[in-house]
Amino acid sequence: MSNIGKLKRWTGTTALALVALSLAATASSAATLKEIKDRGYIRIAVANEIPYGFVDPNGDAKGAGPEVATAVVKALGIAPENIQWVVTNFSSLIPGLQADRFDMTAAEMAIRPERCDKVIYSEPDTSYGEGLLVLKGDPKGVHTYADFTKPGMKVAVMAGADQLGMMQKLGVPEANIVTINANADAISTVADGRADAYAATGLTAGSLAQKSDKVALAPDFTDPVIDGAAARSWGGFNFAQNSTDLRDAFNAELVKFKKTDAWKQILTSYGFTPEDIAGASAKTTEQLCTK
Amino acid sequence: MSWVDYLKPLSQGAWVTVQLAVFSTLLGGVLSFAAGIGKISSNWAIRSVAIVYIEVFRGTSLLVQLFWLYFALPIAGAAIGLDLRLPPVEAGVAALGLNIGAYGAEVVRGAIQAVRPAQHEAAAALNFTRRQALWRVILPQAIPEMMPSFGNLAVQNLKDTALASLISLGDLSFRAEQIRNYTQDSTTVYTIILFMYFGMALVLTALMRLLERTVTRWQRAGS
Repeated sequence: MSNIGKLKRWTGTTALALVALSLAATASSAATLKEIKDRGYIRIAVANEIPYGFVDPNGDAKGAGPEVATAVVKALGIAPENIQWVVTNFSSLIPGLQADRFDMTAAEMAIRPERCDKVIYSEPDTSYGEGLLVLKGDPKGVHTYADFTKPGMKVAVMAGADQLGMMQKLGVPEANIVTINANADAISTVADGRADAYAATGLTAGSLAQKSDKVALAPDFTDPVIDGAAARSWGGFNFAQNSTDLRDAFNAELVKFKKTDAWKQILTSYGFTPEDIAGASAKTTEQLCTK
Repeated sequence: MSWVDYLKPLSQGAWVTVQLAVFSTLLGGVLSFAAGIGKISSNWAIRSVAIVYIEVFRGTSLLVQLFWLYFALPIAGAAIGLDLRLPPVEAGVAALGLNIGAYGAEVVRGAIQAVRPAQHEAAAALNFTRRQALWRVILPQAIPEMMPSFGNLAVQNLKDTALASLISLGDLSFRAEQIRNYTQDSTTVYTIILFMYFGMALVLTALMRLLERTVTRWQRAGS
C-alpha cells in the first residue's frame, strides 16, 4: 500500500516535470539555409487543401503554395527533386514547425497576428476571400456567415482554420458550429445534413462545389464584415520562429518571383481571380502581423 | 479515376501498415514479458518501474501518446539540449508498441499467477533456482494460456496503426484520406480499405494460431 502511495507521488512529480519542460521550451532548433543545402533536402508541409496545397494520388505536390515554393527554392539553389513533401492536417502545421518536423509550410495559411506570435511568415503569396458551401438549391437560404447567428442553424468549419474566429466575432453561438477534421469531410457533412453549410475560403468552397452535384456555392454570397471591413485573407509560407535566416532568403526570392508572369500563371491556373492576384501585393506581412 | 487506380497507392500504404504492425507487435511482446514478469518481481524497484509503465501507457490515450512522441517530445528534448526527433515510423512503432505492451503485461502476469502453486513447490523441492523455475516450469505452462489474449491484442494493434496516419505517416488510412480528399469517393475508398484491414487481420490470426500450436507442442507430446 505504501509502495503504491509513493508511486503515485512519483508519477505526479514526473508528469509535472514533463509539463514544465514542454512549457519552458519555445521551439526545437531549426535549420538555416546553409544547413539545408549541406543536408541536401528541404522538408515542406502541405495540408491537403485544394487549391492551396495538396498531394495528388501519385504523391505529387500541387496547388498555389507548393508550385510557388518549388520555384522559389529552386532560385535558392535547391532542386525540385530535393523537396520532401510532408502531408499533414491543417491543425498540425504550426505544431509540426515548432517540433522541427519540417522546415516550412506551403499551405497558404492566412497571416494573422495571433499566428505571428508562434511562427514567422514570408511575404504574402496569395490573397483570397470567403465562401460558403451549401446543399444544391440552398434550401435554408443562407447567403453570409452572419446567417448562422440564428438558432438552429449549423455551420461546419475546419479545425484550426480562420473561419472559427470569424464566426466568433460575428457572434455565432458555439452550439451552431460543427468542427470537421479536413476538407475531405466537408461534402458529406453538408450533403448528409450534419451542417447546413461549410464555411471556407472562396476557392476551397468553389473546388469542393465542383466535386459533387449535391452541393453548390451559396448564391448571392456576401463576404462577412469583420471589424468594419470585408474579410480578405493573405496567405503566406510559414517558418519556425528561429528560422529567420531561411525565411529572409526565401522572401528575397519570393518578392522577385511575384513580379514574373510565371507566378501569375500559377495562381490563375488554380482559380485565383485578377482581384486576388492584385490583392496579394497590397499588404505586407508586417502590416498583417500587427494587432 | 476508377477504383482500380486506387489500388496502387493503397497497397503502398498497406505495406507501411504491415511494417508498423509487425514491429510494434514485436516490441509490444518484449515489453509484455518484461513488465509482466517485472510486476511480480520481489525487487521493489523493478516492480515500481513495471507498475508505472503499465499504468501510464494503459491509462492514457494512444492518440495522445502518438502526438506527444511526435510533436511534444522534440520540443521537450530541445529544452534539455537533446535531439529527440523520432522519425514518424519510429514514433509510430514506439507509441503502438509501448501501448500494446502495457496491455500484454497484464496478460503475462495473469497467466503466470494462474499456474498452480503446487508447480512452484515441486520446482523448489527439486532444487530449481527461482530463475530456473520461471523458465523451465512456470513459463512453459503459462505461455499457452496467454495465446488467445495475445491473438486479440495483435489484431487490436493492427487496427490501431490507423491512428499513426495522423502523424503524417503514409499508412493505409493516410493514403485513403489522400485519395478521398482528391476524388471525394468516400464509399469506394473506405470499402476497399475495410477489406484490406480485414485481409491483414485474417493473416495475422492465422500466424497467431501457428504460434499457439508451437508453444503448446509439449502438451500434446506429454499426453
